[in-house]
Amino acid sequence: MAVNFFYFLVFPGLLFLGVAGAFLSWFDRKVTAMVQFRKGPPVLQPFYDFFKLLLVKETILPKYGSPVIFLLAPVFAVFGATMAGVFILLPLFNITTGFRGDLLVIFYLLTIPSFSYILGSLASGNPLASVGSSREMKLILSYELTFMLVLAAVIMKCGRQFDLYSIIAAQQASSPFAASVSGVLLFIVAIFCIQAKLALVPFDMAEAETEINHGVFIEYSGAAYALIRLAKYIMLLVLPSLVAALLLGGFRLDGIHVLWSLVKVIGIVLLLTLIRNTNPRLRIKQAVNFFLVWMNLLVVIAIVLIALGY
Amino acid sequence: MNEFTGIVSGFSVCCMLQLLIGIPVAAGLLLFLVPEKYLNAKGIAALLVNLAVFCLALRLFFSSGLMSAGDGNAISGCIRISAGAVASDASRYIIFGIDNLSRLIVAAAGFFAFIISLYSLVYNKINKVRNFNSWFLITVGCSFGALLSDNLLLFLTFWGILGITLYMLIPGRNEESSAAAKKTLILIGASDSIMIIGIALLWWLTGSLSMNSISVPTDNTPGALAFLTLLAGSFTKAGAFPFHTWVPDYTKDAPASSSSLLPASLDKLLGIYLLARLTRDMFILSQWLTFLLLLTGVITITGAVMMALIQHNYKKLLGYHAVSQVGYMILGFGLGSPIGIAAGLFHMINHAIYKSGLFLAAGSIEKQTGKEDIDDLGGLSGAMPVTFAATLVFSMSISGVPPFNGFASKWMIYQGIIDFGNGPGFVNQLWIVWLGLAVLGSALTLASFIKLTGGIFLSRRKQEFSGIREVPALMWIPMAVLALLCITFGVLATNLIVPKLFTPVSGDFVFTGFWDSTFVSILVLISILLGIVIYLVSGLKRFRREDSFIGGERIQDQAAYPTPEYYKTISEMDFPAWMYDKAGKKWFDIYDLSRRFVLWLSRQFSLAHDGVLSGYALWVFAGLIILLLVMI
Repeated sequence: MAVNFFYFLVFPGLLFLGVAGAFLSWFDRKVTAMVQFRKGPPVLQPFYDFFKLLLVKETILPKYGSPVIFLLAPVFAVFGATMAGVFILLPLFNITTGFRGDLLVIFYLLTIPSFSYILGSLASGNPLASVGSSREMKLILSYELTFMLVLAAVIMKCGRQFDLYSIIAAQQASSPFAASVSGVLLFIVAIFCIQAKLALVPFDMAEAETEINHGVFIEYSGAAYALIRLAKYIMLLVLPSLVAALLLGGFRLDGIHVLWSLVKVIGIVLLLTLIRNTNPRLRIKQAVNFFLVWMNLLVVIAIVLIALGY
Repeated sequence: MNEFTGIVSGFSVCCMLQLLIGIPVAAGLLLFLVPEKYLNAKGIAALLVNLAVFCLALRLFFSSGLMSAGDGNAISGCIRISAGAVASDASRYIIFGIDNLSRLIVAAAGFFAFIISLYSLVYNKINKVRNFNSWFLITVGCSFGALLSDNLLLFLTFWGILGITLYMLIPGRNEESSAAAKKTLILIGASDSIMIIGIALLWWLTGSLSMNSISVPTDNTPGALAFLTLLAGSFTKAGAFPFHTWVPDYTKDAPASSSSLLPASLDKLLGIYLLARLTRDMFILSQWLTFLLLLTGVITITGAVMMALIQHNYKKLLGYHAVSQVGYMILGFGLGSPIGIAAGLFHMINHAIYKSGLFLAAGSIEKQTGKEDIDDLGGLSGAMPVTFAATLVFSMSISGVPPFNGFASKWMIYQGIIDFGNGPGFVNQLWIVWLGLAVLGSALTLASFIKLTGGIFLSRRKQEFSGIREVPALMWIPMAVLALLCITFGVLATNLIVPKLFTPVSGDFVFTGFWDSTFVSILVLISILLGIVIYLVSGLKRFRREDSFIGGERIQDQAAYPTPEYYKTISEMDFPAWMYDKAGKKWFDIYDLSRRFVLWLSRQFSLAHDGVLSGYALWVFAGLIILLLVMI
């Protein structure tokens, strides 16, 4: 029992996820700066941001909203991201324990952050936040089916096992799932799904700095916003790790393989960053169409290919 | 039929069954004699009767070792009530049976009847239904009757009375609500008469009317037809596609206590009880019928929730969800595996908990504000904190947010679907379709509850609601109890609730997935505590409160972006637009379709009435000749 608290709070839970996620966020910002011919922030910038918000900045609550939900929503977001992260990283680090969650649980936990942002933004009573949360909800509706189909396809590839331990073990016994035609298709779709889940351009219409001033987060400041930043750092680590576990064969922690494992996650983040720096923001209708028609089509083709044995 | 001999501290089970059905019905009939002006006394009397009945149901539930795992699938004892009061021939038909399934559902029905009658004590004053308490009690007694009868004709009798009480529990205060009541009565009545055909077919096939002893294969036409006709009855009662259309209309106009008693809890329990009996005991499903069940399941889930997405009236929105959730239960029973059955039952109980709670909350909002549209409401979370907290819990449960109960049962259904994929048939090979659409339905449910909770409680507070207060304690206590149950059923799902309540009915199974609900719930609590500590350290007391920032503009009334507008973009897209257009024209409403068909038919017949005497004479002779030919 006590060791499970350690898993949740320290490693691979809250502390580890937060710190590693913050470094990934720095990596993302540095690459962005390089793409735009800027110098970019120092390595510790994400930590400076977080602690400035948490300790220095004043928190302002909405006057005509619901302060309790407004303050609790970021806490739920951090919880959902951390819990999913623990259930994803435990199998990746090959820590066997009775405390585990299967893919269905992970899928539902990963929607908690987005759901909490929506609750929080509605609780602020700000019309711009309302626009943002409407877009966030529609985005969830469009990618949720696609994301589930990707998971289902992986489950199908693995002979209907749906816990990450067996999925990783199956890949390490033979070859990563991505090393097949259907796997490549699934990888492409999965990348776009997590791009949307992370609300990165071209799917950042819920935050859209230039039109609705950060949308769902417009009213957040101080400690509450610090927690939201933390949840975002964590998600930036958790979602690429999930893709690495599902399709790239997971981590191996012996000798040179450690480096490979790192390259997998960083490589996916690099891909996400490059996509977000070379694309304009979509309108919500385009995004819904993109997932409902094109991405679903790709997954269905992948599923048919899997059924045929490719 | 073996006599059940379990004597439980003075009460024989036989006697308990008679009391369970007899007390509420008798009390209901007696209450007709009390004038309406003693409403409080009538309410209290009904509450006491419901409490007594609930205690009896609980006692029956715990009464013997029958609930232990193993012998769960067989009816373990049947009671033939001796023909004291009734004629000796009739006693052949008055046969009650009890097994783990009916025992569980009777206990649940007793609980909901008690909770809702507690709520009705205050709510009765505004619900405008004459003799509400009498009809309420008769409903409860007849539900027990239907759940406990073993003879199909007896079952159908109780089942039929329930259709009438459903009709009596909605006031005909204007044209719209009268139309809704009429529609409900006609659909339910029609389904009952279809069921008679099914029962006749069963009699013809097996020569028996006892649910306990029938087991009919469905790979031949009569068997399949008997199954389908009885299925129509189950679907109409539970409110599944395509017989669902009475539910949203009923909930829109009926008082919250009626909606929460019948369409939300008892009708679901009964409809799914019949479905369970049909799929588990009375029929052996063929591949095509399984396909049909699963297909109706996913169509019900996604279709109804798409309709819920565009509703503005919150009671009608809840009505559509009362339909959509049935799809998950049908999926569970369609799978037919022990985990599927347990998941279907678990979802049925969960649904009854949160949906009756949501209707009670809707009643409270309506009582305090007098508004029926989400657009007219907003920012009530501060004014009605308990109602808000309960609604939030119910909404998260129904949308399947972990660790609430709705998540636990959906998680089991998904597991069942993945296991189902291991089978050889073509229905099994389609498991990804069932899984994908069930998950899509869950996401859409989340979307429409964002609209409901956000629109009513969270958005910007309106000036006109500054005087609104919380409902009286007798109204919020039932909601709070139901919300706590949602949490308890979710937190203890895998280690206590499912093994103790549902495995005895479904048979043993092992979870193929991993979900430690209790420990995760502890972690949720720890996270909330940590969050509070963080806010306290950063100076919660000094937090400033300011009006919203909208890019430096001064905020005006028109500047709102209300939640009902959220999904307009979706309803404008090609396929949804087509669907909503056809739904607006009532293409999916079997009531309207059959009405159109009947009108068309009568027009055809009216063509024969040309008013020419020789024409009529010709008809008469033609009829006579056909009659003679048939007779010869």
